[in-house]
Amino acid sequence: MKVLAVVFCFVAMVLANDLRAQEIKRDFIDPVPQSIYPTAVKVKAGTMIFLAGHTASLPQIDADHGNFEIQVRRTFDAIKTTLSKAGATLDDIVSLSVFMTDLRYVPEFDKLTSQIFKKARPAVTFIEVSHLARPQLMIEIQSVAVIP
Amino acid sequence: MTKLAQSLRKQWIVSCVVLSIPSATLSLAQEREMIIPVPESAYSQAVKVRGGSLLFISGIGPADEAGRLVAPGDIAGQIRQTWDNLRYVLEKAGGTVDDVVTMTVYTTERRWGRVFTEMRKDVFKKGYPSSAFVEARKLRTPGALIEIQAIAVIKD
Repeated sequence: MKVLAVVFCFVAMVLANDLRAQEIKRDFIDPVPQSIYPTAVKVKAGTMIFLAGHTASLPQIDADHGNFEIQVRRTFDAIKTTLSKAGATLDDIVSLSVFMTDLRYVPEFDKLTSQIFKKARPAVTFIEVSHLARPQLMIEIQSVAVIP
Repeated sequence: MTKLAQSLRKQWIVSCVVLSIPSATLSLAQEREMIIPVPESAYSQAVKVRGGSLLFISGIGPADEAGRLVAPGDIAGQIRQTWDNLRYVLEKAGGTVDDVVTMTVYTTERRWGRVFTEMRKDVFKKGYPSSAFVEARKLRTPGALIEIQAIAVIKD
């Protein structure tokens, strides 16, 4: 009986460990129907890259005034450049905080990101703010990426 | 089997069960250290945590399953619904509300800060996450007064 009890304990411990080890590396929690974004992204702690709020880059800003699409594209260009210096790509993004001066642009943002992202499905938060760092800016994105 | 042997066997089984409990209990939450807790405002200046899985949660607002606003104009009702939604997402990911390490709280009016803080005291039982409270012009769910964006660390 003693041996049986020991064996039982051992098997229970192995099973418990196994259950933990089987967890997948990137898990999308409860995707909202009709939303291209998951409600949450679970990822095993690897190398984390916390990016500053990125905006359309400075030199083009006057030409980009009022053009949401160009601002979004230039913002992601800037994010891509930053990520590449950290050895990461846009597909490694797990979280986006999107600050916009007008939330009515959200559908257009969704349309653009579906072209910009190949595989990434980050958790996304949209916030409408009165002002960003410069008066011409319509969007600023703060993101987090995780790489192995 | 003698009585002694029986009691020994019982002890073995009991000790096995007792020994398994700590590992089961420990696996419920990733160990964390709250740096400079501010209990009167229900947050910590920082939370130190190592290992585990990260859960990045999209901004969660006071909406029901169909995305409809709950408790229009009622800040307490909206806060309650938002926490319920957040708990639901955390549980789906295999965690609990106590796994939240940091949160950014967006509100349409700063004056909701006091009631939010009071209600947060009932949410966290094992120490408070770090937090920021920000007034936004508009939130994603029309009519929402509050939205919470959180990051949790869940034990593997």
